[in-house]
Amino acid sequence: MIRFTALPVLAVLSVLVVPAVAGANPGRDAILAELSAQAKDQASGFAGFDAGRGDVLFRHRHTGGKPATPACTSCHGPSPIQAGETRAGKVIDPLAVSRTPERYSDPEKVAKWFRRNCNSVLGRECTAREKGDFITFMTSQ
Amino acid sequence: MTINQSQRPAVAGVATGNDPGGWARVWDLPTRLFHWVLVVSVAVALITGFVAPEWWMGVHSVAGYIIVALVVFRVVWALFGGAYSRIASFAYGPGRVLEHLRGAMLLRPRHYLGHNPAGAVMILILFATLTGLTVTGLMCLGGEEKQGVLAGWVSYATGNGAKVVHEALAFGLLGMIAAHVIGVAVESLLSRTNLVGAMISGRKRLNAAACDAPSDPRPARPFVAALSLVTVAVALAPVLTLAARTPPTGVYDLAMDPVYAAECGDCHYAYHPSLLPARSWDGMMAALDDHFGEDASLGTKKTAAIRAWLVSNASENWDTEAANRFRVPAPDAPWEITATAYWKRKHGDIAATDFKRKAVGGKGNCIACHGDADSGRFDDQAISIPDNK
Repeated sequence: MIRFTALPVLAVLSVLVVPAVAGANPGRDAILAELSAQAKDQASGFAGFDAGRGDVLFRHRHTGGKPATPACTSCHGPSPIQAGETRAGKVIDPLAVSRTPERYSDPEKVAKWFRRNCNSVLGRECTAREKGDFITFMTSQ
Repeated sequence: MTINQSQRPAVAGVATGNDPGGWARVWDLPTRLFHWVLVVSVAVALITGFVAPEWWMGVHSVAGYIIVALVVFRVVWALFGGAYSRIASFAYGPGRVLEHLRGAMLLRPRHYLGHNPAGAVMILILFATLTGLTVTGLMCLGGEEKQGVLAGWVSYATGNGAKVVHEALAFGLLGMIAAHVIGVAVESLLSRTNLVGAMISGRKRLNAAACDAPSDPRPARPFVAALSLVTVAVALAPVLTLAARTPPTGVYDLAMDPVYAAECGDCHYAYHPSLLPARSWDGMMAALDDHFGEDASLGTKKTAAIRAWLVSNASENWDTEAANRFRVPAPDAPWEITATAYWKRKHGDIAATDFKRKAVGGKGNCIACHGDADSGRFDDQAISIPDNK
């Protein structure tokens, strides 16, 4: 009896909860899978992305980039769940997937913004691991 | 008083009828209304022109249009108005003017019920000045602002030249107003007549010294005057309509390029292409990897498409005030509109804290205060600084 009633309840729950957990975005999954493959190529000891490392990357004040933008937080603000502002005064939607669900699902946009912003903030390209960590962190927020 | 009054009757005012008690009706109602409406219109025009900020431009223009109507009315009324309003009553020869000025300097001028010769000269110069002011004002409005009936006919450069004349005439007008007020005060004292009161009530106390009975005492012909005004209006209506419908020169509707709007508008206000010359857009689009201190690089295809759109609609293709002003960029910052001397001068009164407001979002966000920034027009009337903190 319990088994039969639990199944539909679980099914309903999974439908409701899974999108909210934000794991179920095929575009983002594909991007992460691609980054994971690249990360394995770039470093032999790669053992998966880590939200904690993404958090550090997001908050760290870097020194190699352009002086106006030492950190991601320079424009995106200190909290991923809050909106940021470009230096020209335009509002930037929050980076956290919970607030801006369509983030990290368009490979072209993801490539464009990592290319530009890693250069502006770090003064170099980001590694596949850094990108994956970053997206993993933002997906968890 | 030792004035020679032999050429004229000693007591005048008979022309338009005298009220009992020694008062002459001198200024008819239309002339008095004309005078005071003109005073208010000119005051509004002078204040909005010299003192008020740009966004009072609309009020300044309305004052100008009212002055045009008043001048046209007064010219017609100078032909068909009351005896003292008609030009014939104050068209004095140079001899009379010199005689009057000489008398005025000795503080014993001949007194007149109507316009005295010095006042008549002032009025003629005033009308020429007002005509010049409204014509150059319309040229400036049409050429610089691309508004009004001359927008399709006058270039920015011509409008800009007209503005210099407009300003000089406005200073001349200030001088004439001062002379008029001093003249009225002096004459009021010397003739012991309240001339300001006379322009309100229309009546002057009969003064044995006043010496000007109008040579043509016929009463006003208001119907002829009204008919003339209607004729003038009917004749001018199609001309003005046609002129007003002529599209302004050097301004065209430009739909925002979607790639430009999306790519550039992601980070900052998508500036109208007329705000920089082609060589600035060219240089900027060739160096997107260091774009105002950030990497804003795009793929070669998108870069080329945006560059082509910007260059083909750059300031050289427009005759708006903004395009003309920003056509010469700041020498040390050729991509930075806010670095030009013109931009700084125009925004000098705005506090740095105002630019930092959330509703403004910085110096580069034109649209926050210029409601029509997307069209490239930047009309003075479209300026509205958000007042929330």
